[in-house]
Amino acid sequence: MRGLKLPLNQTQRIRLQRAFEKLQTLSAKANSDASVTVADSIQVNYEDAFLKGHGTTDLNGELVATVCGVVERVNKLVYVRGLRARYKPEVGDIVVGRIVEVAQKRWRLEINFTQDAVLMLSSMNMPDGIQRRRTALDELNMRSIFEENDVVCAEVRNFQHDGSLQLQARSQKYGKLEKGQLLIIDPYLVKKSKQHFHHLEQFGVDLILGRNGFIWVGEHVEVRDSMIIDQANSAEQSAVPEEKNPAYTSLEMRQHICRIANAIRVLSTLGFIMDAELIMQTVELSSSLNLNIHDMLGSEFHVLVAEREAERRSLMSKRKR
Amino acid sequence: MVGLSAGEKHFIQGGIAQDLRSDGRKRLTYRSIYVETGVIPQAHGSARVRLGATDVIASVKAELGRPSGLQPDKGKIAIFVDCSPTAAPMFEGRGGEELSTELSVALQRCLLGGKSGAGAGIDPASLVVVEGKVCWDLYIDGLVISSDGNLLDALAAAIKAALSNTGIPKVDVAAETTGDEQPEVNISDEEFLQFDTSGIPVIVTLTKVGRHYIVDATSEEESQMSSAVSISINRKGHICGLTKRGGAGLDPSIILDMISVAKHVSEQLLNKLDSEIAAAEASDEES
Repeated sequence: MRGLKLPLNQTQRIRLQRAFEKLQTLSAKANSDASVTVADSIQVNYEDAFLKGHGTTDLNGELVATVCGVVERVNKLVYVRGLRARYKPEVGDIVVGRIVEVAQKRWRLEINFTQDAVLMLSSMNMPDGIQRRRTALDELNMRSIFEENDVVCAEVRNFQHDGSLQLQARSQKYGKLEKGQLLIIDPYLVKKSKQHFHHLEQFGVDLILGRNGFIWVGEHVEVRDSMIIDQANSAEQSAVPEEKNPAYTSLEMRQHICRIANAIRVLSTLGFIMDAELIMQTVELSSSLNLNIHDMLGSEFHVLVAEREAERRSLMSKRKR
Repeated sequence: MVGLSAGEKHFIQGGIAQDLRSDGRKRLTYRSIYVETGVIPQAHGSARVRLGATDVIASVKAELGRPSGLQPDKGKIAIFVDCSPTAAPMFEGRGGEELSTELSVALQRCLLGGKSGAGAGIDPASLVVVEGKVCWDLYIDGLVISSDGNLLDALAAAIKAALSNTGIPKVDVAAETTGDEQPEVNISDEEFLQFDTSGIPVIVTLTKVGRHYIVDATSEEESQMSSAVSISINRKGHICGLTKRGGAGLDPSIILDMISVAKHVSEQLLNKLDSEIAAAEASDEES
């Protein structure tokens, strides 16, 4: 596929090519000539009514691509998806973002979109859990909730008239993410699914697949219902921030986190669609081979994962028939 | 550079303290090095080195010139590094100039030795053609295409690879000429002399985060550093150059400890680099 920055020796290159060819034949579905560059003509049955989408144009009666990318067909719509495109948000998407600015009554987040997304103070639960009007004091204390450079998980609420995005983080499962690492991959690799929050019990790790390509892998944090917090607990909580150096994550947990993170890196280099199941399988493959965590980023493991995926998909397609 | 939240910084520091970094590496493990030689056909030698997401290119051009009056039996070598604005947002416009100068000076110190030319990693005496009259001027240029930490190590590796890829054209000097006249030289297009790169050192940068030091830091880890020491070591285990960055003070015993750690790491690095360069040259000849 695109130039993998991996030192592959001859046999590895051949194996990888074979795996990719197998995957391509399996996903045929009239998409065999899917990748196009600028001015390539797109294969369409001109008698059927079709809609020209983004990245296409009518040139001398022929449908021609205007960007380099992959042709996608959805019912009658034909469009070209660019390869390094920014995230395309939809209402209700779960996204992970980084705070870039604390402004008046709102936070601005970077979410790999053309503009910064906005999280209003009113769309955020107050730390004490009480539903009330936000006062001027709340506005001044915004930094105690989120500061610059914090990683936050939220949901897309709506689009504003100028095209920018509004987010909301009302539920307890949204909010600040700590104790872990953030990975950045291409947005098109994360497809919309029923669940984006995954709690991997056997590892005790939280995995959040943001649809904007930001993936969070971190220690599991219990979702607390703030309404139940009583006086005793709140006194406890106010004492905790005074601790200067909270303990580091345990080594075992850290190993799990790094293994999962590397699995995600491998899958994104190979260009496979991310979902929790595939990530878990990759992690299990690496543990079954007793691979050193860092060796997961080596070329041999990449080739193995590609071959495994090709086999898995061919099995699935055989079952379907 | 993108900022990091307090939680992420804590995670990185914890990883370094527990000897398990964010991508699973140990404190003294390098990322996989990927070397390609001959990437710039117009230059006499070139190489591209990828260290994780850090991507640098080094090129070597040789021109005939006059040796300086003070050292008539030595050629001249100049090393310059340029940080391309596409490497990182902070390099936009003139932002990369400070870093470029810093890298150039560090590389010059490590590879070129003192003012008199003594103790250089690259032997300038091998560049002279006619003593006092004609010598080769080597211009070594480094370009940073993508920056993800540890630029100095990557650049030193790229320069080593580029020099091993360099072919200096053979020069035929015309017969004896009198005192001040410039001898006629005939530059051959066919025959090339390979450079001897066994004496060229590599640079190992040790970044101190908290109480431990790591090798080959990514830019996230570099943002957490208190200080960094770059040590240039050659095959014999001798130190060819030493640079310290960062404002925090270091106890002298720590520096001595860092030097011994760097010596140990440099052996593995030299072997790995030599094998990668050999592999790159071999595949370069095939294609």
